[in-house]
Amino acid sequence: MSRAQKARALRWLCTLAAAAALVVILFPVYAIIVGSFESTNTLFSGTFYWLPHAATLDNYRTVLGHASASTQETVGGSQTGAVVTSLLLGLGTALLALVVAVPAAYALSKYRLRVTVILVSSLLVAQIVPSIVLATSLFIIFHWIGLVNSYPGLILADGTYAIPFAILVLRAFFFSLPNELMDAARVDGASEWGTFRLIVVPLSRSAVITVAVFAFLAGWGDFIFALTILNGAGIEPITLGIYNYLGNYSTDWGAVMAAAVIALVPAGVLLVMAQRYIATGLTAGSVKG
Amino acid sequence: MRTQVRAEAPTSAAAAAGAASRPAGSGSRRRLSGWRKQQLAGWLFLTPAIAYLLFAFALPIVYNVMLSFQQTSPATIANLTAPFAGLDNYRFILNDPTSRAAIVRTLEFTFFSLLFQFLIGFSLALLFSLRFPGRTLARSLVIVPWLLPLIVTGVIFRFLFQAEGGAINQVLVQIGVVHDPVQWLNDPNLAFWTILIANIWLGVPFFTLLLYSALQDVPVEVREAAIIDGAGPWQRLRLVIVPIILPVIEVTLLLGFVFTVKVFDLVIGLTGGGPANATQLITTWSYNLSFQVFSFGEGAALNNVLLLLALICAPLYLWLSRGSLRRSRGADR
Repeated sequence: MSRAQKARALRWLCTLAAAAALVVILFPVYAIIVGSFESTNTLFSGTFYWLPHAATLDNYRTVLGHASASTQETVGGSQTGAVVTSLLLGLGTALLALVVAVPAAYALSKYRLRVTVILVSSLLVAQIVPSIVLATSLFIIFHWIGLVNSYPGLILADGTYAIPFAILVLRAFFFSLPNELMDAARVDGASEWGTFRLIVVPLSRSAVITVAVFAFLAGWGDFIFALTILNGAGIEPITLGIYNYLGNYSTDWGAVMAAAVIALVPAGVLLVMAQRYIATGLTAGSVKG
Repeated sequence: MRTQVRAEAPTSAAAAAGAASRPAGSGSRRRLSGWRKQQLAGWLFLTPAIAYLLFAFALPIVYNVMLSFQQTSPATIANLTAPFAGLDNYRFILNDPTSRAAIVRTLEFTFFSLLFQFLIGFSLALLFSLRFPGRTLARSLVIVPWLLPLIVTGVIFRFLFQAEGGAINQVLVQIGVVHDPVQWLNDPNLAFWTILIANIWLGVPFFTLLLYSALQDVPVEVREAAIIDGAGPWQRLRLVIVPIILPVIEVTLLLGFVFTVKVFDLVIGLTGGGPANATQLITTWSYNLSFQVFSFGEGAALNNVLLLLALICAPLYLWLSRGSLRRSRGADR
């Protein structure tokens, strides 16, 4: 074999290795997507079908059917209301994260302030705090101030996933904006707020989108706070709906998988839409803080 | 990260230049008032974040510490405080076999998760930094596990590990590795491996992505120099590449540690802490104490053990992030 042939063979060997790794990595997701189209009989037939065998939409009918106005009835039944609830939580968390994080990140990167080091350290430490620690306290505190079983309460709690991360990622991004840009705006008579709103925010669109996407996914995917702060009846996001399926309908795996697939959709859509931003935004924030 | 590292060098120069030019052009009174205005604006921009951090982090942590020293009851939900109880709650969790097992298990779970996540993640990162057909696609697909809601991952694996009908057993039987279905979730010894496997699966993308981007920062000249000097692949890896990317390896392991001691959704969805509490971690057992039996004080004490465990990393994390901390008004390019 010539040298070039050897190199080519080696390259295809790498492709093969990567393909094998991807089979393992993607298998769980693939298996539930296939499973969500199977009947319970097929699922428990003892054979794993790599492609849907006698495909059916029954599971999706169970999960999305009988839409009712009352969220109460959705527990263990239709998840349509839960999907809407999760969308609202995701959007609320994204909005909260942007309102809190964008100005803060700007101040922490472009102003000489005494608190900068303390605040950035606090944010790094805040990322470390386990959610269950916050959940126990927040449940009682929210009970006291009337935020249990409410959207604002849950969104405030979901913000703990997104906000420290958002500030650090945006701060890393803002460092790349040249100071001359802001100085020029000031010389032209723009106020500090005007400079921020008209110059900085528009130029930071990609970083802001990254942060909003991740905050949305944090709100959409939250389970701990939904489990603790929602405490029973009323609001029920899709994550809690899936968990309740396990308890109430432990045999209806088809429906569980259809609900799980629905819960994956936003991640999939956002991954495809925002892929370009995600990798850069993320690595900038998590390694360099 | 790549852009960050590249930006590092010019930044200090630019900052120095900025520091030098600012006072020079700022003799007038207008400049001073501009400085004051900027201080005020900076603080105003920070106000929502400071308020949020105090409300959503500082307050719950302080309250959690208070709760851990109180004789709580379900009525604590309404009363907010309870009688002082000294160290009773801590004594309880240190004597309670399930709590102690949960603490030890959390450490084991974290150790094995990190070990395998690092080995697999680093191997994939090395693989992806080679040139081969389809590597861009492979790299973008590898992060899929990271984007699922954690409870969904737990539920997916609960299905996959079902003794009857679970895809893992079906495949294992089909390819003839085992004859009878493995009782993954019903056997207390095997159940620990299910949460470990699921968590390794979950964390590999994070390690792969971060280590991959670190590998991209190793200068080509350095690699070529090592090849010219006659270093074999293993020597190049051990003596050249690993030392260069060591800071990133440290941060990745540190963040991996923090993520892993926090794991909750995955275990609740996969095993619920069972069978017979065989997969209870600190997080799940704390949830059980606080929200199933309403012993908030005991739950809070266990929470503080977890918090302490997680915060062990804080000084190291801050030290590793010192470059970013020290940086004030940076600008590059």
